[in-house]
Amino acid sequence: MIWSIIKNEWQFLIRTRVLLGLSAGFFVLLILSVFLGNQQIKHQTQIYQDAKEHLRQQWESIDAMNPHGAAHYGTYVFKPSSLLNNLDEGIHSVTGNVLKVEGHVQNEIAHSEASQMQTVSKFGKLKSSLILQYLVPLLLIFLAFHSISSEKESGRLKVLVLQGAKPLHLVLAKTISVCLYGILLLVFVIGIYSMVNFQSISTEVITRTSLFFISYATYYFIISGLTVFFSARWQNPTVALTSMLGIWIIWTIFLPSILMTAVEKWHQLPSRNEFKAAMKEDRSQGLDGHNPADERRKTLEEQTLKEYGVDSLSQLPINFDGILMQADEEYGNKVWDKHFGHLHTVLGQQKQSYQLGGLINPFISLQNASKGFMGSDNLHHQEFLVQVETYRRSFIKTLNDKHAFGGSKTGDWGWTADNAFFKSVPDFKYKQLALFSVFSNYRTDVIVLFLWLMMVCLLLMLGARKLQIV
Amino acid sequence: MSSLDIFLYEWKHFVRNPFKVVALLLFVLAAIYGLHNGANLYHKQKDEIVEVKAKEVEESQKTLTYYEEGKKGPEGRPWIDVSNPFWAIRYTPIYHFKEPSPIMVYSIGQAEQYGFYKRVTFRSSPYDADMAEEIANPERLQSGTLDFIFVVLFLLPLLLLILLYNLKGAETEYGFLPLIEVQVGSKNHWLLSRIAFYLVLLLSVNVLLMLYGASLTAVFANASQDLGIMIFYVVLYFLFWSVIYFFILQRGKSIIGNTLMMMSAWVILAFIIPAMVYQWISIKHPANLMTDLIDSTRDERQKIYDQEDSLIQDQLIVLFPEIVSSVVSNDEAKKNIAMNRSVSALANELMKRSVVAIEAKNQEKNKLVSNSYWYNPISYFHNQLNSIAQTHYNDYQEYRNEVQSLVDKQIRTMVLDIWNDIEVDKAKFLQYRKALASYEN
Repeated sequence: MIWSIIKNEWQFLIRTRVLLGLSAGFFVLLILSVFLGNQQIKHQTQIYQDAKEHLRQQWESIDAMNPHGAAHYGTYVFKPSSLLNNLDEGIHSVTGNVLKVEGHVQNEIAHSEASQMQTVSKFGKLKSSLILQYLVPLLLIFLAFHSISSEKESGRLKVLVLQGAKPLHLVLAKTISVCLYGILLLVFVIGIYSMVNFQSISTEVITRTSLFFISYATYYFIISGLTVFFSARWQNPTVALTSMLGIWIIWTIFLPSILMTAVEKWHQLPSRNEFKAAMKEDRSQGLDGHNPADERRKTLEEQTLKEYGVDSLSQLPINFDGILMQADEEYGNKVWDKHFGHLHTVLGQQKQSYQLGGLINPFISLQNASKGFMGSDNLHHQEFLVQVETYRRSFIKTLNDKHAFGGSKTGDWGWTADNAFFKSVPDFKYKQLALFSVFSNYRTDVIVLFLWLMMVCLLLMLGARKLQIV
Repeated sequence: MSSLDIFLYEWKHFVRNPFKVVALLLFVLAAIYGLHNGANLYHKQKDEIVEVKAKEVEESQKTLTYYEEGKKGPEGRPWIDVSNPFWAIRYTPIYHFKEPSPIMVYSIGQAEQYGFYKRVTFRSSPYDADMAEEIANPERLQSGTLDFIFVVLFLLPLLLLILLYNLKGAETEYGFLPLIEVQVGSKNHWLLSRIAFYLVLLLSVNVLLMLYGASLTAVFANASQDLGIMIFYVVLYFLFWSVIYFFILQRGKSIIGNTLMMMSAWVILAFIIPAMVYQWISIKHPANLMTDLIDSTRDERQKIYDQEDSLIQDQLIVLFPEIVSSVVSNDEAKKNIAMNRSVSALANELMKRSVVAIEAKNQEKNKLVSNSYWYNPISYFHNQLNSIAQTHYNDYQEYRNEVQSLVDKQIRTMVLDIWNDIEVDKAKFLQYRKALASYEN
């Protein structure tokens, strides 16, 4: 019986001209979002490649330079875009894109796209996620709000029940038929995306898009089911429509922003001024590669002299300055780990609290899951920063080791390493995160979405039981 | 039936519809929440500025003690000599601030995307890393803070939709419309009067909310004129949506059809058009990875330092013709040191050229946004309101220009004082502190 009702519903939908017109509009928008998004990402990736090659070429053309001079010269890492970002760009436009890698300091990423122009769109670019998260649910509400009430008004409900249809089957069938419409749009987007990016499809991409698909499909069921429930409960279809519009506004416009601001207040991040002052304070207690009066330097100096069995720095077969600077780096690393680690912890706490917001607003779980599965959320961004910092440490250590053990003597700041050495220093390579390694971070979102799914099923059962047939 | 009667009837319609009343209350709550978000950011920035200013005074005091105690600089750094303009200026703490406007209570705009204080030295540039935004959760930045202007731009049309969706449609569906036409004479007049009721109601609520917002910061004392302009734009925005909804309701025949049309208008204007424009601009001008700026800060700068002294001197003379007749120009021993210490001026010119190119690219994007205003009205209103609140891109551009002017001024003062062999004492240091803190000549 459920399938005959679904079939009947779809026949009705296909015959409705307004819906056909709207569907055509949605299909065009979705095609546009995928094509334009792809073009943008390809263009941006080209610029990224050019910039990366330009910087690497500069590094590899260093003829002769003191390794410590090279540590100050440093290099730059650019944040790459992934084709998955085409479906959901996430936080990409508000995070910086350029990060300087140099000695003595862990820099912050700068020059975000959003800071390079005036305001255009509060809800971001025309990505598939914008349409799938905001607009498709709205369409589903318009499709479902009248589904049961129209049967009541026309008297078909009585006929259907007399024919043997159970109220629960009826509400389930109505929900599924509306939800299927959303799923059809979802399949269409993923189909177009796969066709356009056929050559880049990997197991990882398939896994991520499958989870993306499941999250949206679940959310569409929640929206459709809730609307059908209201349609069954309220006598007046307009009340069902306005109630669902109210819920849509609260879920998608109000709550995400309010909850995000609230979690930032619950788990506060330091101001830049406080953050820098605290790091400076901790840093000043350590070695200063340029300050001969430092206490720690003396200890390190004594240790090194003892190790090499000599009495003065000038007798050392190596360059003590390199050892000193590496020790300073390592002390600095502890300071960065403490302070950046604290930022990381607070951001993690904010994320966890925000994810719990899904319990009152499944849209939050959908957004988190969507960004997360498409690799464009803060977790993936933080991982990128961690990879850059790991690279920075090995990059600076290579330079300091060259300074110490490359053949120069202490105090010989004029000594230079050759081009072959600079060419041998590896470039930064970003390793995309495998989803299985971070999936646990999205467990809350997935569980909350399924809890909502169960709750909507219960509501539908309740709605069916209380459905007034006569 | 007079307009007043229609007004009074509409009041009864409104109060008897709990859904509409709740929607209005929710709107008011959201607006108050938005106003407090704006006020919090305003006070947070103000407090931060006070803290940084205290730090500035502390740093200045530290340098002053060198003069008072006859020291040349900090312990263990014998190469520093604060009696020389080069070191004196380097040790003169100059911070520049983008003071928040009290009107920020209404619109946070782009304030969270940029820094609002900066330590300015003769090596600074408006694109230094410390010009970046405050530390914040990027996911929060992406979802945006709910401020009053967000409530007005995005929720107000929805509230208006909720208040107006059943006007005329309900009467048409129940078959009362011919009767009403007999009673009021003109359907349009009747519909217009009913819409006008909600317009007056919402305008009053919004003006009251804005006055409440004004009490949260120093709007009445410092920005009452801006408040007036902001109210004007908000009224204009109301009218814009009222006209759209009026035509939909006038032509519509059913509640559901009207709701669908009104919702579609909102979705198209608030979501689709701005998102498309943003996407299109991103394709045309992708995010700038600042390679020109990087080149200016590294390789190109190094080339300047590697030039022969005569070339450096020639370029310095072009920038500062006064040095030709300066005291040091005839003293070969001092001239080399002066030249080395003045090279920052050439590096600054190089940096300025790359910054001009970056700004030009950004302005091209801004122009594309502005050109879209005739079909992208929400972005128009958004940027206008941000401008009034001084949280628009251009306000931060102006701030960057001020930083550049301060750098230029420091460099000019430093170069001329080095070449004139000025010895810096406490009085001169205090003079630097005062003169170099102002970007105006």
